[in-house]
Amino acid sequence: MAYFVAFHWAWLAGAFGIGLAMGWIAVVHRAPGVSGWLTWLLAAVAAALVATAVACWVPGRAGYWLELLLILFVPYLVGCAIGSWLRALVVMRSMRQRSAG
Amino acid sequence: MRGLFRWSGKWWPGVIPLIVLWGFAAWTSTVPLENDLASRSSAALKGAVLDKTSIAVDGRDVSLRADAFSETGRRDAVAAVDAVAGVRLVNDQTRLVPEAKPFVWSAERDVVRVTLGGNAPLPALKGRLVEATRAAMPGVEVSDQMGLARGAPARFEDAALLLIGQIGKLKDGKFTLSDGDVTLSGMARELGGRESIAAALAKLPDGFKVASNEVKAPPYIFQAYKDPVAVTVTLSGNVPDENIHAVVVGSSSRKFFNEKVVDNLKNSVGAPANFVNAVVPALGALSRLSTGTLVVSDRDIKISGDALYDAAAAQIRTGLAKDVPQGWQVKAEITVKPAAAPVDPTVCQQLFSDLLGKAKIRFETGRADLDRDSTGLLDRLVEIAFRCPTANVDIIGHTDAEGDSAANQVLSQKRAQAVADYLVRAGLPADRFAPIGYGSTQPLASNDTADGRAQNRRIEFVVR
Repeated sequence: MAYFVAFHWAWLAGAFGIGLAMGWIAVVHRAPGVSGWLTWLLAAVAAALVATAVACWVPGRAGYWLELLLILFVPYLVGCAIGSWLRALVVMRSMRQRSAG
Repeated sequence: MRGLFRWSGKWWPGVIPLIVLWGFAAWTSTVPLENDLASRSSAALKGAVLDKTSIAVDGRDVSLRADAFSETGRRDAVAAVDAVAGVRLVNDQTRLVPEAKPFVWSAERDVVRVTLGGNAPLPALKGRLVEATRAAMPGVEVSDQMGLARGAPARFEDAALLLIGQIGKLKDGKFTLSDGDVTLSGMARELGGRESIAAALAKLPDGFKVASNEVKAPPYIFQAYKDPVAVTVTLSGNVPDENIHAVVVGSSSRKFFNEKVVDNLKNSVGAPANFVNAVVPALGALSRLSTGTLVVSDRDIKISGDALYDAAAAQIRTGLAKDVPQGWQVKAEITVKPAAAPVDPTVCQQLFSDLLGKAKIRFETGRADLDRDSTGLLDRLVEIAFRCPTANVDIIGHTDAEGDSAANQVLSQKRAQAVADYLVRAGLPADRFAPIGYGSTQPLASNDTADGRAQNRRIEFVVR
């Protein structure tokens, strides 16, 4: 893992940036959310992929690419969470100022 | 937290650029990553003793193909690659170097190069053997055709280096190590090379022995050429040591009383056994020839030339083979010199006196047996006697004054008789010769000095 971070830090930073932007937008976005059963399905697929990667079932370059995808998801999700949290803070403060004014 | 869960349902559109990013990342980073892992895996194997190492990286999986020289070495190599940061799996395609039974190594010398063949136990040792060969044979091409195998005997390196140190003594040939057996064949560069190699092999490490030593030496040559025009005898070739050198030259000077002995002999080891016992009689035979060549090659004696009369030719042909030690071969190609023109008895007397003035007939001390060194002189006396068939000759023996005078008279008589017998055996009629013994009654010089006594001991030929 340390090797991955050292070798791919720029790509990981990029994924974090995308996540941060997506999280910022998601708070005020009017698009439809993912339905409940689909969430569970995606979670199951994600778990299966993680298990596959950990068990090294996919050989060679394909295996590396799977690991790369999963590892990029980590900073993406962290970025989304931080982005959404920051945007929520900003939105709440502006709403409070508007109601006070 | 609840808000985070609600917002997360709307994070999915970001996956699309993320997938694009992943595509770029996979596109650009795969080959550099593989190269990085390959170079660091190679670095991790730097100290490992392996042969034919090849590393192939596919993603983060490393395929390691190599020949190891021990099971521990093989496992350590795999573990070293596995410990490289970033490597996910090691695809172990290593194997042990095959074991050679028997373990054979060879060094072969020919005209232009030394070829190292067979097997070496380790790559580093293989390199050391090649380097040692280059150092031992500067300027000679060294061809490395050694493979690698396990199963070398203990102290293999010492034995192989010892043999490499000896390969320069061969003109051509091959040294082979097969487990603990050393086999040698070929031709030594110089006389004594065979002995020198055999002596060096005495230092082979424990566990090694010489199974067969077929190294041959160049023939051991001794030559003598009697030149009647230059009046010289030229000795050339080899003699074993300084003592035998002196014996051969001394014996030649006595046998070739009339010729100058030119000594071009060289002392070299490697002579066949009984060398001096074969060469001295052969020189005696040569001294009986008017012109001739003697070639001794190992144990083959070849003598050719012209004898002075028929009986001498026959005596040389049959006699020399009996005189040389057992195991020596004699090839005599003796012809007879055409007889010289007959002369008057007075000329004969002059010829006898001239010849006996140059050399004396020698006998063994205190006895009437002719010294073999005098055979050449006696043959010349015979030749003169043949030239005056009508002359009768008194053969007169004299002694010095040492000892009892009656005994001296008997000894001088017997010695004169021995000379007469020699002439008769040569084919001359016995009635032409009258052996007479004067003992010490007619001295030429004072008997008080050794030199004078030597002058007084003599045989005279007097034509009646």
